[in-house]
Amino acid sequence: MIYPLDITIYGIIVSAISFSIVFFITPAFIEYLTRKGRVVVDYHKPGKLMVPRPAGPVLLIGVVISEIILYFLILDVKIISVLLTTIIAFIIGYIDDLKTMPGWFKPAALILAAIPIIVLGTHGNYLGLIFDSAFIPILYILLILSIIPIVGNTINSIDVFNGVASGFIIITMIPLLVSVILFSNTNVFLIGLPLLFGCIAIYQYHKFPSKIFLGDSGTLLLGSMYAGISIVGNSEIIGVIALLPAVMNSFLFLSSVKKIVEHREVKTRPVTICDDFRLMASKDNSAPATLVRLILARGPLSEQEIITRIFILATFSSILAIISIGIQYAFMIGKLSL
Amino acid sequence: MRLFGLFMLIFIMWIMIMTVSYFLVFIIGPLHINVFYNSMDRLISSIIKASLAIGLVIVLILLLGFLKTKYLQKALLKN
Repeated sequence: MIYPLDITIYGIIVSAISFSIVFFITPAFIEYLTRKGRVVVDYHKPGKLMVPRPAGPVLLIGVVISEIILYFLILDVKIISVLLTTIIAFIIGYIDDLKTMPGWFKPAALILAAIPIIVLGTHGNYLGLIFDSAFIPILYILLILSIIPIVGNTINSIDVFNGVASGFIIITMIPLLVSVILFSNTNVFLIGLPLLFGCIAIYQYHKFPSKIFLGDSGTLLLGSMYAGISIVGNSEIIGVIALLPAVMNSFLFLSSVKKIVEHREVKTRPVTICDDFRLMASKDNSAPATLVRLILARGPLSEQEIITRIFILATFSSILAIISIGIQYAFMIGKLSL
Repeated sequence: MRLFGLFMLIFIMWIMIMTVSYFLVFIIGPLHINVFYNSMDRLISSIIKASLAIGLVIVLILLLGFLKTKYLQKALLKN
């Protein structure tokens, strides 16, 4: 039994550690990456600005250290399972950062990241379906094997502009943390805090204009850890609702190109850059449909304006997720029934 | 308002998720089929429930695809 005061103290400790590590190590890591020449062009800025990449290792250090400290404080195996999932996803992303892999690599390899949760048995057998839970022990395993790759790649595919992935996770973590505290337990809530505060710290460097890019290692780490927390926290559907704009982006892209490919492999770009560096939706009918292309459907926008609009959509879906939490909670305590 | 269409699209997706959840909990969940009147019935019921649930998710994806096509025609091609 953990007392509320202990939860508060542990929460403050792990949040502060994760935030401090990421916030204070990142500037040195940016210098290191720049010195090593590990930089890429930011195509949406004038003058072909070079930005270091990836920020994944810094995020991993922050998350791993704070989760290990949390493990020694509360001794919950769920921490180990989420941590292993996160580390495997990071390694897969880091391989893709070092060497460009084919489109199928990330979704296929991310199935491996789901294994720690299944092997350590930290998932439930009930899927929370807003109005009640469904007992689906076998189907649930298949669901876990698909949730981690889907969410990992969904966050990866929305990271097209400065600060979008980290900002998106910050916004959508709020309903997820509310959900796990109501429908799971405080331990899972504590597991989620290093991700939220690590994201807040990295956002200071990732936001427009980016001083560092997350890379595949960073985005897969964020997406897989988010998915892992939603699974061990019995909040899968709430997580999906909060991520709806990103899910929609992946769905639009996949149903347009009709196969799993890397964005860089697509010949016709969904958006084009104007002379004034504003972005405009492609007029080519064969160009894939993406969330950004839909945002730009009514005319060109600057990069910052697009980022703001993606965050507005994330806030909207997070509000829907909070309404869903309210409905689920009302059904759970018997205030609502059908 | 530039984002109104996208708000509506996300809202419809949310309604669809809630509807599927409702069907899974209140229609498919309580379903029980008696064929042999022994323990096999439980297995048969589970298989049928799982198939219906997967079918429902497929219908949801197809509906989303239809919605996407309609929205794309409206939002992109008209501009």
